[in-house]
Amino acid sequence: MASTERPTRRSMGDRLYDAIFSNRVWRSIFRSGYPNTPRNQMLAVATNVFLHLHPTRIHRTHVKITHTFCLGGLSFFLFLGLTISGVLLMFYYVPSVERAYEDILRLDTDVRFGQLMRNMHRWMAHGMVLTVLMHMMRVFYTGAYKPPREFNWVIGVVLLVLTLLLSFTGYLLPWDQLALWAITVGTNMVGSAPLLGEPNRFVLVGGFQVGQNALIRFYTLHVIGLPLMAAVFMTVHFWRIRRDGGLAKPL
Amino acid sequence: MTTANPAEAQSAAVRGRARRQREEELLVWPDLVFIEFISAVVFTILLVGLSVTVDAILLDRANPAVTPNPSKAPWYFLNLQELLLHMHPALAGVVVPTIALIALGAIPYWDNDNEGQGEWLSGPKDWLNVWVGTAVASIGTLLLIFFDDGMHAKIYESLTGAKFPVSWLVNMREFQKNFPLWPTCTPEELAAKTCALGPLEWAKSIPLGKVVRTDLLGLPALDLNINIPAVLVEQIIPVTTMVGLPILLSLVAHRRGIAQTKREHMILQFSGFIAVYVTLTIVGTYFRGEGLALGPYTIFAHQ
Repeated sequence: MASTERPTRRSMGDRLYDAIFSNRVWRSIFRSGYPNTPRNQMLAVATNVFLHLHPTRIHRTHVKITHTFCLGGLSFFLFLGLTISGVLLMFYYVPSVERAYEDILRLDTDVRFGQLMRNMHRWMAHGMVLTVLMHMMRVFYTGAYKPPREFNWVIGVVLLVLTLLLSFTGYLLPWDQLALWAITVGTNMVGSAPLLGEPNRFVLVGGFQVGQNALIRFYTLHVIGLPLMAAVFMTVHFWRIRRDGGLAKPL
Repeated sequence: MTTANPAEAQSAAVRGRARRQREEELLVWPDLVFIEFISAVVFTILLVGLSVTVDAILLDRANPAVTPNPSKAPWYFLNLQELLLHMHPALAGVVVPTIALIALGAIPYWDNDNEGQGEWLSGPKDWLNVWVGTAVASIGTLLLIFFDDGMHAKIYESLTGAKFPVSWLVNMREFQKNFPLWPTCTPEELAAKTCALGPLEWAKSIPLGKVVRTDLLGLPALDLNINIPAVLVEQIIPVTTMVGLPILLSLVAHRRGIAQTKREHMILQFSGFIAVYVTLTIVGTYFRGEGLALGPYTIFAHQ
């Protein structure tokens, strides 16, 4: 009995833990301590604005890597990474035919981490096209488009198109030979459509050939128009996953 | 309990099912959130590693006066650019992708029973259909590309040393130009009588404006000449091929018992579509060189 009466000595670690996680500032940001009970873990997910996209519980099979290969999440991760690196690139880039190419050269040579940022943006852009395509294949082969998730598949197809358009509009911006001629070939395809092709191409390019008007249009679409649209459709996409009962499970 | 109340038994079963479902569930924190965190870290490291080692491509400054040979669209559109070589540009560049996207979006409305969801290819024949669809579509696409490149004629010529006997069967453009019913003759050939106009010469230019009199309605007169051989080669034959071959695949698979249910046919067709997309992209990216002629190509040689 005597042992229970002995005053418990708190270890250094415990005191440090309390100093960091139990002070008023920390508690004003995070209402509860580290979620170490099931109740607090569910609360952590449900009450955090970023985590509440998730349900609080998830089916055992859905956390297996081989079930989803994280492809949808990776696409979103790449979208976020592209937004961050894209904002940094915007600091240095002016979308004018006189300056664009020189800005890219300067970015590669004069700006600290400029080349790295551009490389990251480029590889993430290619990666996102790949992950979105593979995510579509994963959803198809796991039969996850079946009722009640039909409409979310359609939103996914829209997001695939937006991803391709985001990549396509970004392709022009370095204003090198690759950019100019790839966009010329691509927009000529639009122009070949019956009846509305040529007017559409004219609107897209802002003239008869790819020049300053095309550059500013592609830039605007690339940095604000298409990302906003993608963000809206992604919101609906994620919301629908929750509304439709999470990931598809076997009946 | 000798007499079971059916309603009670049912609700017990429902409760049992709910309990089993609960037991199969994990908490999102920590089981999912940590996986997401770790994969984000891993991919950040991989991307930084890739970006440190491989620089993004940058060619010379854009110059509208200098057209590179070949000029290529971004890689994910090279499948369409490859199609463009074999058919009418409106068909390859606009109609086919539009219909493909609509068909893709319509998948869940065709295959609308909810069996077999939430598991990778759960049906007994699902994997078989993936392999059959992928194999048939990729080999078929390659054969069609080789045919339109006159590969059969080249092989014949290298084996026999003689010229391929049926000149209009070398590729589709030759068919359009030299099919015996509408051969293309130069004025010199006509004068020397080494070439005679075919019985369908008139079909090369049918003045539609003379038949459809839009001018009678107060609209501008229709200035449109229909070229039947061109329409046949650029539109009718490609459309028949693109619609007919997948249907044929499904019919044969159905007969052979490979694909029976809607889902199985869907897997067959989707796998075929992906295989065609990938094959066309690879050919367009790595095997279209100068003048978009078939042959090995790499963009990095032009850097």
